[in-house]
Amino acid sequence: MRTKIVATAIVAASCLATAGALAHHGWGSYDAANPVTVQGAIATSKYENPHATITLSDAGKVWTITLAPTFRMSARGATEDVVAIGKTVSAFGYPSTVEKDEMRAERITVDGKTYELR
Amino acid sequence: MTEGAPAIFVALEASGIGAAIRQSRWLYMVSNIGHIVALTFFAGAIAVMDVRLIGGFAGTPPARIIGQARRVAIAALAALALTGAALFTAEASHVVLNRAFQLKTALIALGLANVAWVEFVILPQIKRLQDSSPMPSGARTAAIVSIATWLGVAICGRAIAYF
Repeated sequence: MRTKIVATAIVAASCLATAGALAHHGWGSYDAANPVTVQGAIATSKYENPHATITLSDAGKVWTITLAPTFRMSARGATEDVVAIGKTVSAFGYPSTVEKDEMRAERITVDGKTYELR
Repeated sequence: MTEGAPAIFVALEASGIGAAIRQSRWLYMVSNIGHIVALTFFAGAIAVMDVRLIGGFAGTPPARIIGQARRVAIAALAALALTGAALFTAEASHVVLNRAFQLKTALIALGLANVAWVEFVILPQIKRLQDSSPMPSGARTAAIVSIATWLGVAICGRAIAYF
């Protein structure tokens, strides 16, 4: 009986325990202390859930930029057309500490208009 | 898309349904919110059953209150499966390799095995018990396993986003 309780407690706790050790996809894995601004023409655009993403080339480096859920983006005016392929975008955000050349955008500016994404 | 995932999950994510869920303004969000709402009903119904199995609500006939709560639990589980399937399909190749999701799946299997144990072993023992009768020893263990397992499932579900 007691052994069973201990065993189930261990099973349930194991998820939490490994969360700290292995986490790499949450917002915690972005380096908020060293924000970057990247700028360029959008090469690919996925206006999809859970987060829209675009890629663009800046100074010879191809960045993957994670934006926001599409519902929030369109609610703030950043519709699919705003982040369409070919648009010039400036993105301020935080580089991933896990994925190479990936960043999470805090805000983007397109055609002189700034969209807050958080 | 995660290339290393088993082909069936890559295909599921690449399917028309997967694309529709990702690209819809509403589907993903509704599934997301529906999953949480269904979880609250599921957790509530599970808690009623487990508290009764442990010996709480002693003034009620156990088989009856468990039977009533079970209907809510079954409906909530169906809603969880439906909304969960939508969320999974949208990102199948990525989520299937997610450690938290894998642990969650294992815990769901454990939880369902415990449901079978309660259904076929414990419930027949308490079928005719009256109010305030002491519960059989296995009932308490099953209830604790149930609470711990489903809490673990919920924790792992939320943890998927952090792996």
